[in-house]
Amino acid sequence: MSEALIHLTPLDLAVATLLVVAAAGLSIVLGLGIERRLGIAALRTVVQLGLLGLVLERVFAVRKPVFVLAMLGAMIFFAGREAVARSTRRYPGIWMDAWFTMAASCLVVGGVVTQVVVGVEPWYDPQYVIPLLGMILGNSLNGISLALERLLEHLHSRAHEVELFLAFGATRSEALSEPLRTALRTGLIPVVNAMTAAGLVSLPGMMTGQILAGAPPLQAVAYQVVVMFMLAAANAMGSILITFGAARRLVAPDGSLRPGRLQEVGGRGRRRRGV
Amino acid sequence: MEPFLRCGPLSARDGEGRVLFEDQELRLHAGGVTVLEGPSGSGKSTLLRLVSGLVPARGVRRELQGRAHGRASLPRWRSVVTLMAQDAPVLPGSLRWNLEFPYGLRNAAGRSFDEGRAREILEAVGLGGIAMERGAGTLSGGERHRLALARALLWDPPVLLADEPFSGLDPDMAFRCAELLVEHAARPDRAVLAVLHDPSLGMGRARRLRLAGGRLEAA
Repeated sequence: MSEALIHLTPLDLAVATLLVVAAAGLSIVLGLGIERRLGIAALRTVVQLGLLGLVLERVFAVRKPVFVLAMLGAMIFFAGREAVARSTRRYPGIWMDAWFTMAASCLVVGGVVTQVVVGVEPWYDPQYVIPLLGMILGNSLNGISLALERLLEHLHSRAHEVELFLAFGATRSEALSEPLRTALRTGLIPVVNAMTAAGLVSLPGMMTGQILAGAPPLQAVAYQVVVMFMLAAANAMGSILITFGAARRLVAPDGSLRPGRLQEVGGRGRRRRGV
Repeated sequence: MEPFLRCGPLSARDGEGRVLFEDQELRLHAGGVTVLEGPSGSGKSTLLRLVSGLVPARGVRRELQGRAHGRASLPRWRSVVTLMAQDAPVLPGSLRWNLEFPYGLRNAAGRSFDEGRAREILEAVGLGGIAMERGAGTLSGGERHRLALARALLWDPPVLLADEPFSGLDPDMAFRCAELLVEHAARPDRAVLAVLHDPSLGMGRARRLRLAGGRLEAA
């Protein structure tokens, strides 16, 4: 597939830069006042992706499991941190729950896909393991933070409903059944939407990339289907883990609420929901 | 005489960490309403919530008719010592669902929702004119309190802990609801502990407990 690949030169990148500059120019002409943020964002894209590229080149070149695992560890760390940062409420233990959720859903689902479905040889081959697991982390992060936010919001603003159930003899799982169901449904909406619209409204990013890289379209489709199912599983598993983890900490086993443990913070939930 | 319900030691602090009461014991006798009095801020609501086990507390012994309930069986305890919380919480959904949901719980132990009885009670609290399918969210504050009372009377637990059950009701309706509660509690195997906005309302023959200065005593 490499014969179809057109290499990008620094000149090509410079031309592409003109596109961002043009967008910034438009902002100045129309007085949108967004040119500064656009510039910073463009710079961050170049620096962050550049660094990632350098790290990946290195990890790909060395091909040692310890480097792959270290990189995965760092990715899980940042994904967990981002999940908590997006939440407008916190509770003691939220960091552990977020990291555990990220690690478990990414490693279990990613493990099945790379080791069983794709059958990567050797098992740690960074060319497959890192992009696939990275996609799982980045995507399930959305579902996980939506589910978490929804559950914490429910336990805060609708605590009296949960308590009403408890007051009439509901067990913890009975009282939490409705909040958990709503939270899980919310967490699964993005991936269900993505699967529904796939190929009709949007050409999925990974498939686009493979086609650009010269892969036969049907092979790209096969990979995209695997990826979609993988993301659905990771979102489901992650949402379940994070909501059950949070519920376990906020409601005692005997069914007494611990609302004092829930604290409101700024959070970035509303602003950052893009892919 | 052995009390119907015994619960203690009960201790609580307010939001700033000051002691509201410490090592107090609640004893309720069957067959009647017991009114819990006390200055505002003395911890009456907290005491009710402690007894029901909705706030975490250690070392509280809960006994009903001489039978102890451990921590593990708190949900079972709450199904027989049921709290009517302040502000009459309702669930989104119909009136029917608000009355029916407790019967779907494991601790309902096979009891089933009696629609005929539900209608009788709704009639008695003055909600007979409202369709069972109407959304509970559309009820006024006073109607919500009456719905909460209807739910509690229908559930008919051995012990009812009622936290300001008649607030937001006009005097006539409040009196009517108070009579219902007294009638409910008059049976030999029932007890009601009530915190009332107006402790004199229709409760002439009720026993009285007073929570003041950190002590719970007969008034």
